[in-house]
Order: sequence, then structure tokens, then C-alpha cells
Amino acid sequence: MPQRHIVYLHREHPGDMAQLPEYVKAGGYNGLMKALADMEPDDVLYQLHRSGVRGRGGAGFPMGRKASFLPKDSPRPAYVVCNADESEPGTFKDREIMEFNPFQLLEGIVLAGYAIGSNHGYIYIRGEYEHQARVLDRAIAQAYEGGYLGSGLLRSRFDFDITLYRGAGAYICGEETGLLDSLEGKRGQPRLKPPFPAVAGLYASPTLINNVETLTTVPVIVAKGADWYATLGTEKSTGTKVFSVSGHVMKPGNYEIVMGDTSLRELLYDICGGFRPGHDFKACWIGGSSVPVLTAEHVDTRLDYESCETAGTYLGSAGCIVMDDSGCIVRSSLRLAHFYRHESCGKCTPCREGTMWMEKVLQRIVDGEGRMEDLELLESIMGRISGRVLCALADGAVAPIESALRLFRDDFVHAVEHGSPAREPMAPMGA
Amino acid sequence: MSDYAPVNLSAPDQIEFELNRRRLAAPAGTMLVDAAYAHGVEVPVFCYEPRLGGPIGACRMCLVHVEGMRGLQTACSTQVQPDMVVRSDTDEVRDAHDGVLELLLANHPLDCPVCDKGGECPLQDRTFKFGPGKTQFVEHKRHFPKPLDLSSLIALDRERCITCFRCVRFSQEVAEDGHLIMRERGGDSEIATFTGDHYTGRFTGNVIDLCPVGALTSVPYRFVARPWDIKNTPSVCGHCPVGCNLELTEHEGHVARVTGRPNPNYSVEEGWLCDKARFAYPEDRAPDRVRQPLIRDAAATREVAIEEAVEAAALLLGRDGPHAFLLGPGATVEEGFLAQELASGPCRGALVAQLGLGDAPALAGLRAAPAAQLDDIDRADLVVLVGGDPANQQPVVELRIRKAVRGGGRLVSAGPRRHPLSGLGPSYITPPGRLLDGVRAAGPAFRAARRPLVLWDEADLAHEPAAAAELAGLLGATRGARQLELGADVNGAGLSALGIPGAADLVAALEQGTITTLLTIHAQPAESAGAARWAEALGRVGAVVALASHGGGIADSAAVVLPAATHREQEGVYVSMAKRAQRLRPGAAPPGGAAPGWELLIALAHRLGAAPAYRSPAATFAAAAAARPALAGLSYDVIGELGALLHAAPPATTNGAVGGGGADGTGLPLVTTLRIFGDAAAHRSDALSGVRQGAEVVLGAGEAERRGLAGAAQVRLQSPHGACTLPLRVDPRCPDGAVHATLGVPGAGVERLLAVDRSPVRVEVTAA
Amino acid sequence: MTADEIRGHIDPIRDQFAEGRSLILPALKFAQTEKGYLDGADLEAVGEAVGLTTAYVESVATFYDRLYLQPTGRRVISVCINLSCMLRGCDELLSHLTGRLGLPSDGGSTDDGAFTVQQAQCLGYCDRAPCLQVDVGETQGPMSLDDADALIEALRAAPTPDRLWR
Repeated sequence: MPQRHIVYLHREHPGDMAQLPEYVKAGGYNGLMKALADMEPDDVLYQLHRSGVRGRGGAGFPMGRKASFLPKDSPRPAYVVCNADESEPGTFKDREIMEFNPFQLLEGIVLAGYAIGSNHGYIYIRGEYEHQARVLDRAIAQAYEGGYLGSGLLRSRFDFDITLYRGAGAYICGEETGLLDSLEGKRGQPRLKPPFPAVAGLYASPTLINNVETLTTVPVIVAKGADWYATLGTEKSTGTKVFSVSGHVMKPGNYEIVMGDTSLRELLYDICGGFRPGHDFKACWIGGSSVPVLTAEHVDTRLDYESCETAGTYLGSAGCIVMDDSGCIVRSSLRLAHFYRHESCGKCTPCREGTMWMEKVLQRIVDGEGRMEDLELLESIMGRISGRVLCALADGAVAPIESALRLFRDDFVHAVEHGSPAREPMAPMGA
Repeated sequence: MSDYAPVNLSAPDQIEFELNRRRLAAPAGTMLVDAAYAHGVEVPVFCYEPRLGGPIGACRMCLVHVEGMRGLQTACSTQVQPDMVVRSDTDEVRDAHDGVLELLLANHPLDCPVCDKGGECPLQDRTFKFGPGKTQFVEHKRHFPKPLDLSSLIALDRERCITCFRCVRFSQEVAEDGHLIMRERGGDSEIATFTGDHYTGRFTGNVIDLCPVGALTSVPYRFVARPWDIKNTPSVCGHCPVGCNLELTEHEGHVARVTGRPNPNYSVEEGWLCDKARFAYPEDRAPDRVRQPLIRDAAATREVAIEEAVEAAALLLGRDGPHAFLLGPGATVEEGFLAQELASGPCRGALVAQLGLGDAPALAGLRAAPAAQLDDIDRADLVVLVGGDPANQQPVVELRIRKAVRGGGRLVSAGPRRHPLSGLGPSYITPPGRLLDGVRAAGPAFRAARRPLVLWDEADLAHEPAAAAELAGLLGATRGARQLELGADVNGAGLSALGIPGAADLVAALEQGTITTLLTIHAQPAESAGAARWAEALGRVGAVVALASHGGGIADSAAVVLPAATHREQEGVYVSMAKRAQRLRPGAAPPGGAAPGWELLIALAHRLGAAPAYRSPAATFAAAAAARPALAGLSYDVIGELGALLHAAPPATTNGAVGGGGADGTGLPLVTTLRIFGDAAAHRSDALSGVRQGAEVVLGAGEAERRGLAGAAQVRLQSPHGACTLPLRVDPRCPDGAVHATLGVPGAGVERLLAVDRSPVRVEVTAA
Repeated sequence: MTADEIRGHIDPIRDQFAEGRSLILPALKFAQTEKGYLDGADLEAVGEAVGLTTAYVESVATFYDRLYLQPTGRRVISVCINLSCMLRGCDELLSHLTGRLGLPSDGGSTDDGAFTVQQAQCLGYCDRAPCLQVDVGETQGPMSLDDADALIEALRAAPTPDRLWR
């Protein structure tokens, strides 16, 4: 199970990579210098395409293809928007990149801008990450001072500015069109698509919007070449991916691994130190909370996009929440239902009303007031939400609960009969 | 409401597609919901409302199956494509409809029996057609305290709201008042104003029509009637010359509600109404309503039977003339024509005139330029607004202008006053008499535009011949340029089409004491421009017969009062400022002994021994159309539901002195303004009591300072024609070099400052 | 806060946005630093500074969890209650904190105006569950009950920050 450090370069270097000189000393900005000196924007675009790198925010859409959707002849300015609204439960990889390797992200944004002919990038960072935002503020200031941002950067004829924009607490702003509306000063409600952001994104202009981890990958792809990058991982899941592991494992944390090289079992037992004595794996939400839950039956799943799909789930953001056999799947489902109800923007009927209803039914079951027909009712409600809404939030709300109800039906039946009111104990482990 | 956009199935370049196994066609770009509806297939919607802009896809009600696409699609946001195969009748689609309705109803109270929307509620209707027969919802419903007055006109019941965003989008993106908002997030979302302020504006009532449930209801209509106890009649508005199409609701014998038409007239109002059009109807039952015929002599005023009153009027008009007939701006074409017929028959030689501006020679060139309709404003890349204040005077035009600007068009305005649209683009404020400067400033933009459109104000341009000529020149020299008149008088265009001139000659004849009997038809001369002169002139007439719907003014002194129907109570034709003839249809019968004006005038002709050959408004109009070239080719059938354009120009008339010339008097030039809720109708309607506006004098800060009036609460204005006293407001944004005063407010008396022909005046301003 | 003070904060960044409306979140967040929450006058001032109706400002402000339209304590403690933290005992942590401060079990503000304790959705520190965040400071964890007690004491002893960034 090789661990590689493509976006977590800071882990290999002794210095503080959040300081510009240290980043440069570690080989930072080689990609940008190479691009500005030797590459046309289309060459950079081609490298991104050829690398096969897929969006690391959750949807897994190939970045090169996304960038190629931007119209070349638009009279409006193009924008790069970095989605740093990392809010998916169980996901904390972008936090570490921004805090400890911010310049690689900035370099990636500039390179993306160069590739699509944009001169302005925005980083939309969630309001709760103020600590990381301040790191980025300093890094952006240093980059301007060092000539790595601004007009004629690195003495080229390319201009690029980056603006850091702080959110104010709304999960839905991690959805790309919700983010764009929020950045435009509106309520962060997802937009009807088409038009897609590539055509009419920020301020109705062509916009490339990508996740922090995705953009942080770009300098390495440009510096070392797409072919080198594509040798890592599998055919459809190239490169490395950071897994944020949390919950009932002994060593929670971020782990950057080569796609497809590692199984879930290796990640949990070898890398994350396994479980407390006397306890073992019960369930895992591998791609953040918005994906179908996996059971012990799936523990040998390989960690790449296609293997996860074979197992009936999605790699998502790779925010891997792990529960051992002390946990209650019904309480967990209720907790997630509460989260999605709280975060529904309220635009689509099925999501707004359905998440509220799901929470109410699950609450009754947990409180010991459930009826056996509530299990069918839950299925019925979820059937009326799934696939019938504008963005991915509601499908994300249904996926973990629908799968839990299917895979752990006995637990739900038990909860209907007995409730499940007991709180989880305070038992900080490992870490 | 309209819900679906109109689809022209006979337009060229139709795209063929399949819906529910039927091969159909619709023009490229048509949304599936609209194409389906045009072919008789209802795909249910809640949030979709094409008049609010692009689809938002929020309610998820219109899901359909499109072959080759993954999952169900929202038909409101999917355009028809060649050979697209669509199904709205599969089990999956039915389950989706059923499911969305079940979710919408989960938190919707079942208080339909006491809900004003009950019986005419899209949520009810669509639940019946597409929804679940039962609910699985056993939890407690979301609870909000019961109705909240969003304003004196609109009640909000948040429990009934289904969060379709229609009202909020109207406020934010159509009226652009920005006051109605969605608060909070997710299931807590609620419609609100800023911390409970009233929702105020010129168009607020449209949200009642837009609401697909009973969340937003009319306060004046609250608990008034059930839908099966009412009758709805399509008609047009009689409060300004735009001619908005609307629907009148009759209940217990009177008009109890006014709403937008279910099928809007997209060439006129697009289904939007201003709040005056919507809420002025209670004036029909105002305390000063004339309900019975009156005969008045030195000793007393008597209520009499209609026959007796007509007899008395005929006696006065049967005397030796000359007589004079004065038509108010709200008189119908039929009433005007019948007056003319009296003047050419039994009352031969009688002067017939209208209180409105009539034909001004200065405007002939402008009127001859290619004319636009209101919907052309949407497509203009440049709108030049010259004079006027459409937001207050022709309100729905404001929405068209905002739409044009939202769509990327530019607005340039020039005129003597600031108004609510001034901020939408460059605005040149010119002192009275100097409008030419403003027109010249707009010239370069005009010449550079591809589809420029000039909106010009009849009242302001009538006395600015140089500006009118310059504008006519610009229009003539610019390919594709068109013009649309912002009329001053409700049916001014209709009365002008009959050849009825302004009243300059008539008032002069009255002053000379040569008029035996004056018949007024919906006219209040002593409350119109030149009020002081009118009052004096009326003292010299032998007798007055007033055909009037409301008391006050002339009806309080006339020898005979014939109680008349209002524009909501009678048939007739109005010609809009865009020269569109449209039919008034009575929403209810007039009260008591009152009768439609046409009927009273025909009865009068009978009594005078000159019975016309026609006995109905339709026949009267047919006779008018046969006799007046400007109305040629028109009939009630031709006008139909949506109106018909006049093709010929009205005959030229001589109006006396309307035209150029400097301002009369000394002091500051007077600029008059009108306010949407500041006229007699708004002041009579108790529904509008919360928003009605008064009169004031406004001075710029510099001007007030210079004249030592900065601290004055009240000022007296004196012109060569008369004087009045009003409260003063000093507004730093008001340009110096003129004094601004509110016209039209009952009892305020600004009309006394003006000449009968509304020509420019100067006034002395002193502290009162 | 006055519109002029808000302008002073947003004017330097105004030209970074094609549409002025984007300044609404920076303006709201800054306006909130005076009292720790936004009252009607603050919303009006933001509207004036950005060029929007107050109603519109309110519609945006109420959309976001970290903009407060009700008074808060001088320090706001956000306890993450999402799944990763739940599995590691955040419910116990929350109930301990609220109990100690005499607040309802789901959070609230102390009578002396010193603290607000609220539930938060995933704070992105799941590797340090159970975690909590004080104002916008760096999220802390894993928190034991003793840590929580010590935190309260430390916050009581610390001076109130000049600007209440939330």
C-alpha cells in the first residue's frame, strides 16, 4: 500500500511549506514556470485531459473534460473558482492542503486560469475555516509580493489575480452552482442546469469550478507530465487520492494513497490502526456521508472510483466515516437525516419536505415510538425524493439511509421494537 | 393564472416531437410544458410562470419522461427538440406527480373550507387531477401563527405557502421593488418583508394572482365570497390610458374584486395590474356615489325617477342654444359619439369638447412616426423616455421598461422631473421649456441603437414644440426606430378619434355667457386644469346637466344629475394610448337608479325627438365606426377579447392655444407631478386608504435656501390663473430651477394654478 | 454598525468583483463583529453600503448559519454534532457543556451574556472528534469533558476580543 505525496508534498519536506521560500525550495512553481515558458494554454489543457484526473470534490468528473467545455469565443471574462467549502461530513482533506501546502493550491489555480484563458480566480472557503483562510490570506500576499500573482507574473505577459471569499455557514454552498450564487451575493441555492458553469457560471461568465484537492494536483501534472501522473492508479482512477478517515478507528487522519493500490481493509486495519480491542468493523460511509453505506461484506473493496461503484457505493470525497459494532446504524441514520434536513436549501419540494419527514420518522423510531409500517413509509418517502430534485443534496440524503435500511434491516426492526435512545459514550480513542 | 406561455402553433419552422404517443409540433425554443398545454395536455406546474423570467425548476411538479435521458426531466425547463419522445402518462411520471403533491400537502393545512382560494386553487385542482387520494403523513404539521397582514392589501398565511418562489421572484425580478423575500432556509423558509415592514409598492397585488395556494390573499376580498357565488367578466381598466386587460368579479350585485386576466393580453399588460387598477373598485360604492337621479332648484334638491330626470334634462337642452357638451377623459367612445349625434341633431350647433388634452399640433409629427405597441418595449435595445413619469401615470409601462433593461436594453430619460425609473439609466433633468436639451443629449445613443424606442409623454411634449420636432426628426432619421405615446387621458385617444377637440373654445364660450345649457359627461371641469377659470366660467352658464357617477364638484350644483354607471359597470369602447380599441364589459349593474351613460344619452335623444336607430352600445359603436374614418373597420366582434388597433389617424382639430410659447407669470416654473395613489379614485376607494397619497410642494435644497423657505411647513403658490397652499418638502435630490407640485389630489387645488390648456406657468412661492 | 464603517471595510476589495452584490457576505460578516450579531439597523447599513434593499440583505443573512440575527453571548461555542463526532461522544460533550452553563440541552445563551453554546454541522475536524470551535478560532479536539471545563475557565479569564468574528 504505497502512500505517495502529490497534494501532501508538505509531508515530505522538512520546512514550513506555508512560507513561499520553503515551497519554492521544495520545487514549487516549477509547473507554472514550465507552462509560462514552454506551453501554450491548450497544451496545459491537453495535459489535464491526458492525466485523467477526476474532480476530487465528490462527483469525480474528469477535470480536463470540464475545462474543455468552456467556450473559447465568449466575449465575457472567464473565471476559475476553487471550491474550498469543504463541508461534506467526514471530509477534512482540503483543510490540511490549505493549511500546510497553500502555495501548491494557488499555483494550481493560476495554471488552471492559464489553461482556460482566465485572469481571475476565486477561492470560496467555508466560513468555519477562518484559521485556514488566514493562512491563505498570508500565502496570497506572499505570492503577490514574490511575483507569483498579479500582472505579468513571473515576468511573463500573463496576469492573474486570486480573491479569497469566505462563506458563512451553509453546506449547500459546496454544491457548485449554490457556491456561485453565494459568491454572487445571493442565497446559496443551486441553479437549474443547463446552462452549466462552464458556459454561464460566475456572473454568467464561463467558469471552471474545481475542488481544492483537484486544483492542487495540477502543478504536479504540469511539472511531471500527464503521462507520469497517469501511471499512478488505475485506468479510470488515475493518481492519488486523499482519504479522510474518522470514526471508530484507532488512528483517524488524512492518508494520501495511490488509487486502486489499497483495499478498504488495508486502509482501516493497517494504515488507521484498526479498532478498539473487542470491537470490529460494522459499517463505513466511504465517500463522505452522502453515499450508500458499506458493510463488513465490502471490506475488501479496492479504493478507486470503479471498485466503489461495484460495491454499490461511491468514492465521493473519500471522507471515510467508520463505525464499529458498538455503534447504532439507526441513530447514525437519524443524525444524517437531521443534517440533510438542516442543510436543505428549501428550493426543491422533495428535498425540503422529504428530508423533514425522514427526520421526523427516524426520530420517532429512535425514541421508541416507531411503527413497523414506518420502515415502508421511509422507503416510500425516499422513493419520492431520489432522482427528482435539482442538485445532489437530496440524493445524498437518501443514499446512506436507503442503503442502511436495506443492509441493516434487522437493526431498524429492533429499533422499532425497542428504540435506540442511548448516547454514544465519550471515548476518545487513538489519535 | 396564466401558468403557461402562449404558443404560436401556426408559426413557421415548427419542430415535430412525440408526446404520449401523439405526433405534435411546436416552434423551436418552446418549453415542453407550454407545447403540451397548447396541444391540450396539462403537465402540472407550481413554480413555473413564464412571465417571471426563466424557469427555476424548484417545485418539481412537472416531471416527465424523455426517451434517452436519465431520470425524469422538468418539462418547464426542457425545450422541445426534433423527434423528442416525451411521456407524461407513464406510471413513473404519475408516481412523481403523486409524490410531489403528497410532499407539498404534508405540511399544508387542510383549511380549504375557510380559505379564500378554495374552489379556485391550483393546489386543490392539481391534487384532484394528479395527486394522491390519501396521505401517509402522521406527524405534526409545520406551524406558524395564522395570517399576517403583509400590507393593508395583502394577507399572508405562511402555513399554506408551498415555497414556489413566485411572489418573491415577482418582487425581486419583475417589479424590482426588492421588498418581498424568502427568509431562512430549507423547511424553515418563509415569505417575509424586512422585519415585518408592510409590503408596499405600485404592483404588490400581483402576488395574489401569482400565488398558487391560499398563502397570499386579498385583504379587501377576504371572506367576501365563495367561487361559486361569483361571476367573472373580462374587461379593461379605466384608470389610465394603458388599457390593461383585467377581470371583474361580481358578488351580490357589485364588483367585489379585480384580478389580472387568466389569459393575459401579452400586447398590453401581460397579466400584470397596478394596485390602483386592482383595488380602486370600492369607489363604485363610495359614500359620494350618485345612486339616484336628482333635480335641483333654488328651493331644494329632489330625488326623482329616471324618466323625470331625463325629461327635465331634455327640457333644458330643448331650449334655444347654443348648448355645450363636455366629456371627461373617462367617457367612452359611445358616449362621445352620442354627444356628437345630439349636437348634430336636436341640439344642433352645440359645442362638443373633451376635458383631456385633445389634439396638440406640436405632436402631429411624433404621432406620424412608426408606432410601437407595449410589447415592443421588451425587445428595444434602447428606450428613450421623454417627459412623463410612467411609474405613476401609466404604471404597467414601468414593468415593461424594467424588463427591457433586465434583458440588456438601455434606458435614457429626459424630462422635467425625477421619477422612479430615473435611476435605471442616464437621466437628464431639464427645466420646463428646455426639454429640447434633454432630447439632444439622448440623440447620440439613439442614433447608435438598433431597435430604439421612444416613449414620450403627451402632456409634457404638447408644450415643448422644439423638443417634439427634434424627437420627430430623430425618429424619421433612424431606421427601425419607433415611438409610443404615454397618453394623459384614459380615453383621450378614443375621443380624439371621434374628432372631439380640447375644451379651449368651450370654456371661452362659457365665459362669454352665450351657452344656454352645459351637459357634462363624466366631466369634473372645476377639478381639472384651469380649475379657477372653469369655476368662473361655470357661473355664467344658463343651466348644467351632469351625467356623473360620483358627487362632488359639478354634480353638487347641476340642475339635473343623471346617475351614471362607472367604467366597471357599463359597456363601451376605450382606445388606449397605443391606439388599441378595447371593450369594457360590465362587471356588475350600477347601483340604485344609476344607468350606463350610453343608455341615458339615447333616452335623452328620444326625449328630444331624435331617437337614434340604434339601441345598444354595440350598435352605437357600429354607427360611430361607420361615420368616423379613424374607427373604420372596427366593431365589437372585431375588437373581441384582446382589442384591435386603429389604423387611421384621428382627424385634426383646432384646440385653441395649445403649443409653444413661454410660461405665463413670474417666479419659478411649475412642474406638476401625479402620484399613482393620489387621484380621486384612490382617495375614494377605502381599500387604498392605507396607501393613498396626498399633495405637496417639493423644492430643491438650494432653491428653498435662496427663497428663505428652508424652514417653512406650508407654502402658497400663486400663478396668473390661481393660487393654492400646500405642505412643503425640501428634497436635496430635487433639481433647482423649478417648483414641483402634486396634481390630481382631490381638494389640493394645484389645478387652479394651471391654464385650461395646461400650458406652462410660473408661480410665486411664499411661506404660508 | 454604520454604513460608512462597512464601506471602509469593503471599499478596498470592491474592484475584485464584477458585481457589487458579491460584497454582501464580507459586509455582513464585518458588520457582525461589533455586537456579535446583526440587528435591523446593521442590515440596513449593509444594504446601504452594498446598494441593496434591507429586505434582500435579510433574505441572504438568514440563509447562513454563521450570521446571527439574534443576540449571542460574547463567545460562541459551536459543538460539532455530525456523525463522526457523534460516534466519538459529542452528545456527551454537548450535554456536559450546556449542563455546566445551565443551558437547555440543545444549546442556548447564558443569562450573563458570556456564552452561547450551539450545535454545529461537520466542522471538518473529524480526525479530532469530538471537536468544537470557539467563535472562528481554530477548531479544537478531541475534547474530553475535562478539556471542556478547562476551556470554559480559560474563556472566562480571557478578555473579550475587540472584534467578534463569528
